Amino acid sequence: MPHHNTKENANMSFSEEVTHRHGGETLTACYQCGTCASSCPVARLDARFNPREIIKLSLLGEKQEILTGDAIWLCTSCFNCQERCPQDVEIADVIYALRNIALEAGNSPNIYADFASALIADGRIVAISKFVEKKREEYGLPPLKAVHVEALNTILSATGFTKPEKKEASQ
Amino acid sequence: MTSYAIFLGCTIPARQPNYELSARKTLEKLGVELVDLDGFTCCCPPPIQSINLESSQAIAAYNICLAEEAGLDIVALCNGCFESLAMVNAALKKDKELKTHVNEVLAKVGKEYQGTIEVKHFLQVLMEDIGLEKIKANVVKPLNKLNVAPFYGCHSLRPSKLLQLDDPERPQILENLLEALGATPLEYRNKLKCCGGLLKGISDDTALALAREKLMNTTKAGADCISTLCPFCFVALDIGQIQVKSKYQEVYDIPIMHYSELIALALGVDPEELAIKSHKVKADKVLEKIA
Amino acid sequence: MEQPKVGVFLSDCGKQLSDILDFDALTNFVKNVPNVALIARGSEFWRGNGLKAIVDAIKGGKINRVVVAESLPKLSEVNIAQAVSDAGLNSYLVEVIDLKDHCAWPHRSAPAEATEKAKAMLLSAIERAKLLEPIEKLEFPTLKSALIIGGGIAGMQTAVDLADLGFEVNLIEKAPFLGGLAARAGRFFPTDDCAICIQSPSSDVKTITHTSRKCVYRSGFSEIPNLSILTNAEVVSVEGVPGNYKVTIEKKPRYVDADKCVVCGKCAEVCPVETPDEYNANLNNRKAIYLNVPTVHPQIYAIDEDACKFQECAKCVAVCPTNAIDLGQQTEQVTLNVGSIVVATGFKEFDSSNIKEYHYDEYPDVITNLELARMIDGFGPTGGKIIRPSDGKPAKKIVFVQCAGSRDRRYNPYCSSICCMISLKNASLVKEANPDAEISICYIDIRTTGREHEYYYERARDMGIKFVKGRPTEIYNDEEKGKLIVDVEDALLKRFLDLEADLVVLAAAMVPAEGTAELAEILGLDLEADGFFKEYNAKLRPTETKKRGIYLCGGATFPKDAPTASLHAHSAAMKAAKFLTSGKIVKDQRTAIINEDYCGDCEFCPVMCPYGAITLEPTTEDHFVAKVNEILCEGCGVCVGTCPLNAIELRHSRPNQMSAQMNALLSVNGTSKPLVLAFCCQECGHTAVDSSGMAKMEYPANVRIIKVPCAGIVRVNQILEAYKAGAQAVMIVGCKTDGCHYEVGSAKAEKKMDMAKILLKEYGIEPERLEMFKMVFIEGAQFAEAAKMMTERAAKLGTLKLMGDS
Ligand SMILES: Cc1cc2nc3c(=O)[nH]c(=O)nc-3n(C[C@H](O)[C@H](O)[C@H](O)COP(=O)(O)OP(=O)(O)OC[C@H]3O[C@@H](n4cnc5c(N)ncnc54)[C@H](O)[C@@H]3O)c2cc1C
Ligand code: SF4
Ligand code: SF4
Ligand code: SF4
Ligand code: SF4
Repeated sequence: MPHHNTKENANMSFSEEVTHRHGGETLTACYQCGTCASSCPVARLDARFNPREIIKLSLLGEKQEILTGDAIWLCTSCFNCQERCPQDVEIADVIYALRNIALEAGNSPNIYADFASALIADGRIVAISKFVEKKREEYGLPPLKAVHVEALNTILSATGFTKPEKKEASQ
Repeated sequence: MTSYAIFLGCTIPARQPNYELSARKTLEKLGVELVDLDGFTCCCPPPIQSINLESSQAIAAYNICLAEEAGLDIVALCNGCFESLAMVNAALKKDKELKTHVNEVLAKVGKEYQGTIEVKHFLQVLMEDIGLEKIKANVVKPLNKLNVAPFYGCHSLRPSKLLQLDDPERPQILENLLEALGATPLEYRNKLKCCGGLLKGISDDTALALAREKLMNTTKAGADCISTLCPFCFVALDIGQIQVKSKYQEVYDIPIMHYSELIALALGVDPEELAIKSHKVKADKVLEKIA
Repeated sequence: MEQPKVGVFLSDCGKQLSDILDFDALTNFVKNVPNVALIARGSEFWRGNGLKAIVDAIKGGKINRVVVAESLPKLSEVNIAQAVSDAGLNSYLVEVIDLKDHCAWPHRSAPAEATEKAKAMLLSAIERAKLLEPIEKLEFPTLKSALIIGGGIAGMQTAVDLADLGFEVNLIEKAPFLGGLAARAGRFFPTDDCAICIQSPSSDVKTITHTSRKCVYRSGFSEIPNLSILTNAEVVSVEGVPGNYKVTIEKKPRYVDADKCVVCGKCAEVCPVETPDEYNANLNNRKAIYLNVPTVHPQIYAIDEDACKFQECAKCVAVCPTNAIDLGQQTEQVTLNVGSIVVATGFKEFDSSNIKEYHYDEYPDVITNLELARMIDGFGPTGGKIIRPSDGKPAKKIVFVQCAGSRDRRYNPYCSSICCMISLKNASLVKEANPDAEISICYIDIRTTGREHEYYYERARDMGIKFVKGRPTEIYNDEEKGKLIVDVEDALLKRFLDLEADLVVLAAAMVPAEGTAELAEILGLDLEADGFFKEYNAKLRPTETKKRGIYLCGGATFPKDAPTASLHAHSAAMKAAKFLTSGKIVKDQRTAIINEDYCGDCEFCPVMCPYGAITLEPTTEDHFVAKVNEILCEGCGVCVGTCPLNAIELRHSRPNQMSAQMNALLSVNGTSKPLVLAFCCQECGHTAVDSSGMAKMEYPANVRIIKVPCAGIVRVNQILEAYKAGAQAVMIVGCKTDGCHYEVGSAKAEKKMDMAKILLKEYGIEPERLEMFKMVFIEGAQFAEAAKMMTERAAKLGTLKLMGDS
């Protein structure tokens, strides 16, 4: 993951935009062998999703289809494909890059907005309720330490973290 | 005494006292001290990486810095935390350019990543710091009658370029650790495939279908229980069984046991102290075989 | 030495140049240069009357140095050198420059400036000519014999060629039998006939016709009078120089006397040992005394040392009717003196166990194409039946998996180039013999690039063989079904197929033969990144290596099919014959000389010399001194540029000669722009300058060219000298890294320039005043661009202030 994100510029093709992203660098090595697809547990169960196809669409510059479709969100980030790709395409990381781009363009499933809100507010993506704290005490578990929420938010803004917005109609 | 900064992450402290209790008690029994450090945030697992990979790396690095300052290696219980932190730790050690970039960001919060500590998975601490022999010697309730389907989940092993837990194609660490407890690890189809946990909330049907496959394959192999390493896998397969029942009318009734729970039981910890009752699929079958 | 008397011959190339350059001014200028004894003007000097004028001047004793300004100097130089030498003057006392492509044409829009540059060029040539020394011819005798390493079809064909031409040929093979892969592959595309069929030697007088080719076993191969064959033999060391190599060979015992064995096979009948037959992919057992298959060559039994019980048993000894078996045989060291060596060590299948998800090491029914070939072979372990090794039952469903370990960055990134054809051939052979076999081939791309090759693909489709476009992720064993399952996506259908198989055949990648790296080390040869032997230049000098007299052929350089391996073998034989035939190496002594008084035995030059021409030899007890081996030295000057103590000089490119040239080139400017000096290697760098001129590309006349043998010769102090002499910027122009005519010269130069830049800073010189460029002949435009760029850069930086200047 060597590159610092360089954002889209007017002359970049979509595949260049992806390869200039964190995670997207290896996209162009793909020769469509399908190893990723047959490695992928999701692709077998859900016809909307096929990693080989996502790579191909990205290479062909089908930006709209990639960014507005469901497909890129269906990867479980299991890295089965990435382990076996004979061209060392870091497929799951490419999908992160695609999601990052889609998200900046305002497209993402609503759940990401929840994750982001929780992260920004508490520094955690699962909230700790009073009830939980009481339960922990009962079990004899130590009280939870404070979370450096402020530092986390400073880092988020220094790295251009865009908070995804919920969409009313979607999902 | 060996000491580690324990990285609990978000899910375990909130939802899985059974994991935390069994892990803490096991390590205590085996002479490993756990330190709860101030400040740890979310590790920034795949859902956050999906929002912004760069932010996620920097936050993971921030957490590593906290442990560096305390001079402690990190032990992570959750696969997600392990992956997020270990991956960034390995990447930053390898890649100077990335390190410079991340440190530019960290400078804004007064931190600098050095690369002085290790991030270990719970299993690695057991294997590397304690060792199979010592574990065997401490087993008081051997799991001899138990056929266990070992389940690694994804982020303990992959991406193997950055995570060095074990051979990603033919891992043996969990099998060996199960054998050390007297249990029989089983082979089953698609052992290395995903539980589907991360698809929850995005495509619940697909998530459930993945969990169901795992339940089918492990049941077919004759497993008494599935041994997990990760809170997400646990939920996907435990609560998942209730959902599978209502959607597919299939009853598996196969207990999901964190490896930490199995080892704690084998080391003689009273099940009552482990919050095993919090499992949705009752673990009684397993407990009976251990008694 | 006699005072230099320089003759300057100025050609206007049929008035082409005199329209631009002021020839009268040039003549006047030259006239005043000391030691110029003669000036002649004409339209050409490289042939006809012009050339005769040069010859006459030499013969008449008027001149003893020749400077010619001529177009196409790289062509005309040869003629002029020959004529000069015929006239009795050493041909190295000549300097030829190009006023057309290096001056008149590129600067034609500024004729006055061009004329000034021409003066500088002429002065430089004259000053250099004055300092030139005669270079003598060296002669080294060579032996008329060759060693061929590897007895596959490539090695055998080279052996036949060289033996037919009358050379003494020694062929060594590390296995007990010849034939290599061909002996195991059964049938060969593109003819579907026997793999092990070679060209007959011409000594096979009884049965030979001009068209014959023969099975090795009846080819008369072993009877060729001037060919000796050593099996069970490997090279352990090589000493000496091209033309005279002393090779030490270790020959392991066969335990059977070649002259006595009558191949009756009684020994094998009584041998009690059964051992897995590696030759047949361990599909069967064989005895400890054995022939691979009945048709092998040589037709002599051999004992497998690792399996034989020797004196404990010795049953074979008792039963042999001719007393051919000698269990006491020992490993022997054999020394051979040969003029030339040909490496023909072939390749092997990649170990597919590395691809863990294919379980080659765990599932007996996952095999490779070579293993399948043994099953197809009627002489093979199954008598031609295709079975499941796990249980011996017939294999009905067969899946081929292409690119197993090839085109895979984790293992071998290259395409092994023959495995598509091998699978198509094998699948068709199996289908032909077993029409009800269900065969699928999983592929990424099908590559059938030779004549007749596409026909194999057509035929396979016609026969009903199925093609699945996809690389399987995994092969697993479905115990319930008792079948292997090949887990693959058909990318065209976007559908997941779980292909059932009795037998999975991996088209395993082809990788260098065992021991390739060790042999390369022994021979001092380079390997490519993929581990195969490196050819000197794949396009123009295939089969050659950087070592004179050592050649490569067949699969040793890359996986190839048999026709290509044959071509390669004949080519290597031709190259070796060309090298050996005169019985001597003749070369000009344009070599490096070490000043032993300066040499500090730092060990830089022996390491840097691309040809291993320098060794450190002991002088007194604790002192070593570098010595140049003149047969090996190719005259690149890389050592010169490397030596920290200035202890090395190259004949014909001595520092004083180069200084004189530099000073002259920079003595006259005549333009308003800062002087730029370009050191151009005589190969690609200098020809790029030619081509920019030939194509009439323009750049300013302040850019001056000095030709050097290789960019690697340029020393940092010479660059400083150039600045002192007035250069405001310095360019180094060399070959592309991979195309360097002296292997590493360009790369070394590039590294050195990086260091030089740091040093320049210390001298207060802006590092931007130095730049290295790499270009080829056709990149004249790049040269012109670079020249302009450096001029602009120097102009921007302003006049260079050297330390000590006020
Ligand atoms: C399964 C298979 C099927 C094939 N089918 C076809 C086909 O149908 N058509 C076709 O045209 N081509 C085919 N080929 C390719 C063909 O076999 C090769 O082109 C050919 O055999 C190459 O010959 P070679 O002499 O270069 O190498 P090899 O056949 O590999 O011979 C090299 C020899 O050198 C010996 N050796 C190696 N190292 C040393 C050493 N250090 N010292 C001494 N001896 C050494 C080896 O033992 C071997 O005998 C096939 C190859 C394979 C693997
Ligand atoms: S496995 Fe790699 S090369 Fe093959 S299709 Fe997928 S991304 Fe492309
Ligand atoms: S990482 Fe995503 S694309 Fe790759 S195998 Fe897993 S789910 Fe499929
Ligand atoms: S020849 Fe065919 S099978 Fe062999 S590496 Fe090339 S494409 Fe793959
Ligand atoms: S001139 Fe070249 S070949 Fe000759 S000794 Fe020096 S480095 Fe070696």
